[in-house]
Amino acid sequence: MKPGFSYVVIRTHALIANLLSQAQTQRLAESKNVDGFLERLAETPYGRITVEGASAVPIALERVFYGKFLERVLKIVDLTPQKIGDFLKTYYYLRFETLNLKRIIRGKFSDLTSEKIIESLVPISPYLVPSYKELADSASVDEAVNRLKGTPYSEVITKLKLHEQFEAIWPLELALNHVFAKTIFEAVKTLPERDRRIIYDVVEYEVDIENFLAAMKQRQESKTGAKPEELFPATYGISLEKLREVIETKDLKRIIESLGESYAKVLSPIYKGDVALIRTGLRRHKYETVTSGKATNAFGFNVIMAYLVYSEIEKDNLVGIGWGKAQGISSQELMKYVVIPRPV
Amino acid sequence: MISGVRPTKGYLMEMKRRIGFIERGCEFLKLKRDHLAKELTTSIDILKGRRSLLLNNLREAYDALTAAYISLGPTEVESQASSVKSALKLEVLPMSVMGVRYPYVKILTKPQVTAELDITLAHASVKVYEILEAIIQLAEFEARAERIADELGKTNRKVNALENTVIPAYRQVIKFIESKLDEESLEELVRIKRIGGAMASRKE
Repeated sequence: MKPGFSYVVIRTHALIANLLSQAQTQRLAESKNVDGFLERLAETPYGRITVEGASAVPIALERVFYGKFLERVLKIVDLTPQKIGDFLKTYYYLRFETLNLKRIIRGKFSDLTSEKIIESLVPISPYLVPSYKELADSASVDEAVNRLKGTPYSEVITKLKLHEQFEAIWPLELALNHVFAKTIFEAVKTLPERDRRIIYDVVEYEVDIENFLAAMKQRQESKTGAKPEELFPATYGISLEKLREVIETKDLKRIIESLGESYAKVLSPIYKGDVALIRTGLRRHKYETVTSGKATNAFGFNVIMAYLVYSEIEKDNLVGIGWGKAQGISSQELMKYVVIPRPV
Repeated sequence: MISGVRPTKGYLMEMKRRIGFIERGCEFLKLKRDHLAKELTTSIDILKGRRSLLLNNLREAYDALTAAYISLGPTEVESQASSVKSALKLEVLPMSVMGVRYPYVKILTKPQVTAELDITLAHASVKVYEILEAIIQLAEFEARAERIADELGKTNRKVNALENTVIPAYRQVIKFIESKLDEESLEELVRIKRIGGAMASRKE
C-alpha cells in the first residue's frame, strides 16, 4: 500500500535537502582531475564510486549517474499515488526509452555490434518494448524497426521508406519524437487538473526550445526535404509559423525578440554561436520554473516535480563535470555549462 | 704540370668550350636558386599565416566539441557520431614547381554529417571539418616548402661547387695550357731566330 500524499511531499522535501549544494557542485567542478573529482564525490551522498578497469571513464561515470538518477525516479514513483506515479514513470521511462531506441537504430545503421549498442543504452529495463537485446541483435535497421510492430512505436515502421530514400535515420528519429510527444501529452491528461500546470510549463517550454534548435539546424541543412509539420509534431509557445520563419528568414534576431523575454533570454547565446549554452539556459529555466512552482505550493505535486528536475540537472552537471575532468577542461570553462543549484 | 692535361691548342679549345658551357649552366642554376628562394620565402609566409589560423580554428573546434559533449553527454555524442556514414575521401596527386615535385591533395568527397546530428554536435562537426581541411592544406604546403628547401640546398651546393671548385679548376687548366703554349711558341721563336741567325752567318 502506498503512503499518503502528504508523507510523500514531506519525504521529497527531505530528499531535496540531500541534493548537492552550490558549494559542493563548485568544489567538484574545481577538482584537478577525475581522481580528484571522485575523491570529492565520495564526501557527498553519492559515496565512493569506482570506475577502475572501465575502458572509457567518462562513459562509465555517465552510466553511474544515470543509474543514481533512475533510482531516485523509481523511489518517487514507488511512493507517490498511482496516477502521479504512473505519469512520472511514463515521462521519464518513455524519454529514456526513446533515446535508447534512437541509439539502437543508429547502432544498426553504423553496423555496431550488438554488445556495443547495449553498452550505449541508458540503464533502464525495457518499458514499452519487450527487449532491447532483441532489437540490438537485429540484422539491419529495417529488421530492428519492424520488430517495433505491435508496440506504441509501430508508426516508426511507416517511415522506413523515407529512411531508404534518404539513406538517413532522421525520419525514424523524428517519428520516435512524435510518439514521445503524443504519449506524454496523453499521459498529462491523467493527472489531476491542479497538477498539470507545472508539467505544461516544464515540458512545453522544453519542446519549444528543442523545436527552435531543430529549426536552426534546418537553416544550415536544407537537404533533409522534410516539411515543418513533420519536423515539429508538437508546438506550443513557439508556433509552427514562427519555426517556419526561423528556417527561412535571415533576420533571426527579430524573430527571437518577437518570442518574448522568457525565450529571448534562453536563446540569446545563439548570437555568439554557442548553441550548447541554450541547453544550459533551458535547464536553468526549468530549474527556476519548478523552484517558483515549489514556492507557490510547498505541499503539493510541485515539490515532487521540483525534486525530479533538480535531480536531473544534478545528473547532467555531474556527467558534464566528469567528462570535463577526464579531458582536463578548466573549471571556469565547465562552470559555463553547469546550472548551479540553489534549492530554497 | 697538371696530370692528365694535354697542353695542346685542341685541348685548350675543348676546355674553353666546356668552361663556357659550365658557366652558362651555373648562371641557370643561380636563376633557379633565386626563384626557389623566392618561392620558399612566400611559402614560409603563407605557412606562418595558416598555422596561426589553424591554431585559432583548433581552439574554436575544441570549444564547440566540449560544448557538445557537455550538452549531450559522451554516450550520446558517440552514438550520434557513429551514425555518420559518408567519409572524407582524398586523392594525392603530384605537382611540380621548377622541377620540384610535391604532393597536392584533392578532396574528392566531403562528409555530409549535419543531417544526422544534434545542432551542438553539427556545429562542432563543421568546425572539426574546417580544421581537417586546414590541416590537409597545411600539410600540403609544408611538404611543398620542405621539398623546395631541399632543392634550394642542393642547387646552392651545386652553384657553390661550380663557382668555387669546378670553374676555378678549369680556369687553372686553361691558364696552364695557355702558359705552356706561350712557352712553347716562345721557344719556337727563339729556335727560329737561332736557325735564322745560323743560316745568315753561313751565307756570309
